[in-house]
Amino acid sequence: MRHFPHITRACALAIGLLVTGELVVRIGFSSSVDGRFDYGYHPTAGFREDKSGILRLMRTGGRRFFEQQFPLSKPQHTRRIMVLGDSVPRGRSVESSYAGQLKVLLEDQGIKSEVWNLAVPGYGARRIQIVLRQALQYNPDLVVLHLNNSNEFEDERERQRGLEFAGMHPKNWLMKSFLLRRLYEARTEQLSWKLLPEVVRARDGARDADTEILAGMNSETQKTWEKRVRDTTLTDLELCRAHNVPVILVTQALRVQDSVGHYTIQDAGLAGFADSVTNGHVLHVPMDKAVESLDPAMAFADTSHLREPGHVAMARAIHQVLDQGGFLRVRPATTH
Amino acid sequence: MTFVSWPYPFFLAAAVLSYWKLPLRGRLWLLMISSYAFYAAWDARFLALLSASTALDYFCGLALAGERRPAWHVALASSLPALWLGICSRMTAPLSPWLTIQPIDSWVIGIASLLPVVFTVAYLLCWKFAKAQRQKAFLLLSIGSNLIVLGFFKYAHFFGESLDALLKSMGWGTSLQLGSVVLPIAISFYTFQSISYAVDIYRGKGHPARDYVLFASYLAFFPQLIAGPIERVGRFLPQFETARVWRPEHLHHGLRLLFTGVFKKVVVADPCALVANHVFDPASAIDGPWALLGAIAFAFQIYGDFSGYTDMARGSARLLGIELSTNFQFPYQARGPSEFWQRWHQTLSSWFRDYVYIPLGGNRHGRWNEIRNLWITMGLAGLWHGASWNFILWGLYHAALLTLYRVFRPLSTLESSQGGFRASMAVGLMLCWTLLGWVLFRCTSLPALSHWVQAAGHWSLPATVGILRPAGWVALHVLPLLLLQAATRGRNDESDTDHWPWPVRGISYALATLAIVASASQDQEFIYFQF
Repeated sequence: MRHFPHITRACALAIGLLVTGELVVRIGFSSSVDGRFDYGYHPTAGFREDKSGILRLMRTGGRRFFEQQFPLSKPQHTRRIMVLGDSVPRGRSVESSYAGQLKVLLEDQGIKSEVWNLAVPGYGARRIQIVLRQALQYNPDLVVLHLNNSNEFEDERERQRGLEFAGMHPKNWLMKSFLLRRLYEARTEQLSWKLLPEVVRARDGARDADTEILAGMNSETQKTWEKRVRDTTLTDLELCRAHNVPVILVTQALRVQDSVGHYTIQDAGLAGFADSVTNGHVLHVPMDKAVESLDPAMAFADTSHLREPGHVAMARAIHQVLDQGGFLRVRPATTH
Repeated sequence: MTFVSWPYPFFLAAAVLSYWKLPLRGRLWLLMISSYAFYAAWDARFLALLSASTALDYFCGLALAGERRPAWHVALASSLPALWLGICSRMTAPLSPWLTIQPIDSWVIGIASLLPVVFTVAYLLCWKFAKAQRQKAFLLLSIGSNLIVLGFFKYAHFFGESLDALLKSMGWGTSLQLGSVVLPIAISFYTFQSISYAVDIYRGKGHPARDYVLFASYLAFFPQLIAGPIERVGRFLPQFETARVWRPEHLHHGLRLLFTGVFKKVVVADPCALVANHVFDPASAIDGPWALLGAIAFAFQIYGDFSGYTDMARGSARLLGIELSTNFQFPYQARGPSEFWQRWHQTLSSWFRDYVYIPLGGNRHGRWNEIRNLWITMGLAGLWHGASWNFILWGLYHAALLTLYRVFRPLSTLESSQGGFRASMAVGLMLCWTLLGWVLFRCTSLPALSHWVQAAGHWSLPATVGILRPAGWVALHVLPLLLLQAATRGRNDESDTDHWPWPVRGISYALATLAIVASASQDQEFIYFQF
């Protein structure tokens, strides 16, 4: 200090600012921090029970559920339906998603229901299973599993990140700071993704988010992903069967543009698998069939995400399958 | 282990803490061992080459000053490379995650085993000459050996391939069987430092190291071993000979330089590399705006990369109480090519000036001789960067620029203009020339250059609008550097921020730290390591 007061003061100020920033975030935004570092592999999967008997859905694995809260105990004569999946079933809001639309259809029919939208963007089969394990503790009457094979890379990447960042290796020391880690992630996901074309990011491949683009171009990798979805889904079905919960499998469809610019809707590759596991307990709603009556440009917002008419069509298709399957005639299970 | 990899701070901290606890002799041993360990982390086999160069130049340096050592000393020191290769060949398992030894062919060990005999005989033979001839003989032995090593590892394959292509084009139909040669990292830098060592002692501009460990530390000093700055004996060696005294300024300047260097590399160079790598790939579909953006991105990539490296090298050395030369001084503010070369890679420019250009005659003996000397010097400077025609072309392009500015009076007047609009115009014009030069430098093949040139001619409004986002990316990463340069203008050093008020400096450090963390990616190689 005596020898070079200016540099010492400046360094102290810099360190003080960074430490203060970290403390402010940790204390002031604790709910935002919670679950952020678990990368989807936290056992509670973002379910938080209040002492007042309310269950709140929070952030999980750096991603958020839509803000929802439900009583821990299921109300009498109410059907509890849980929709699990990625950004496609999540939709733009709970109300506009096919989960929300299904609730409207059920209530129009005089059926009291709670529909939980448990879909989280970017979630693949393994992270969905973690949510499912948690969800099954809250006595669902029906689980709607939305199957997609495009999120397996992110699942694996997040698992690796979770393992790495949890370790004490010096290269991860800085990542123990919430402030620094958020910046590190935001730069890739906000700046890089928005400013650089995919072809430039794919070339680099060093940034983990961009490696996905490269991996997705490999047909062998695609096959591995599909196998993982199938294997994990089989385990999901066993879990649901063990809890005596019927399941509806929704299989993803894609909007594809041909060489002359016309759109068609194609199954993403999991419908065959879903058909093969269908039985009295497991029903299948293929998305391509559910929205086939719609103009693809109207049904889809992009290659995979649905617009509101698409969500409505999906809800109707699910409702129809439920009706045909006799689910709507069965009295809901009693509360614990 | 690069300066921006996670082990380096630990390595440096251990070296610095131990260094200041030791007496002079212990410090030299520490520097030698840590420098060799640092080098071995890249490729342990090539320590043999470094130790051969050390042995040769140590005894040649002493001989140039008239000091003779017993022949067995020479034989012993020059047998170290073979000994090391023998040890390496027996190590099958990796010594650590960072030290993996590649297999070594037995013929390589055979050649290394001949070195003690060849060098000892040559050493004894040189002593047979009278004093004046003897000095020349030792100078020749030192320069020749270094150039042979450099030529073999760096240029033999290139010239072999070129000769092969020439023979084929003449219809001789022969095909030379060219094996691949691995380029040892840092070879261009330490051989040039070795050559300058011998020449400076010959010219009486410095005295030789009388201690072997002292000389080994001097030649292999880890902060500047891999990519310079290329130091001179007169300025650099005395810093090793006397025990440096700890002063708080060492910590102050050292950390400041390290911080600035990391900032330039991580925040400026690596993100710009993303765009430059895309543009200069012949397989990429690009148009005029992309071509221009790629050239700009590469200009800042190479500057951030190399000047950042130099800052980190200087910072690391400063923590050990040793001052390295500056290598960059706002090169993109040059008003002409002469000034550019006074500001860009200064230690290499001055090396070529002192050991090639001036011995060739410099600007004496008329304009035409001066221009000839310029073209030879710049051609060699280009070739120094790599065994590839694009580097030679880049060197010759700068020779053409230097010639143009000397011959064409309006340009030479423009270069010497002081301040005002004319000076700004001169800077702008030189920046354009420099960008064009970087395109030649970056395009590694003729198809790549042709791809860039063709793309540069295609401009359209949608393409120009479409480039705005990627241009925003480049601007986002370049602007902090430009701000730093503006705020340190008039100083010798971009890291010299002492004149800022301390609160401004504190906030800047905090913001720069956040920017570094946000920009961090996987380890990206430094461009100049390949040279």
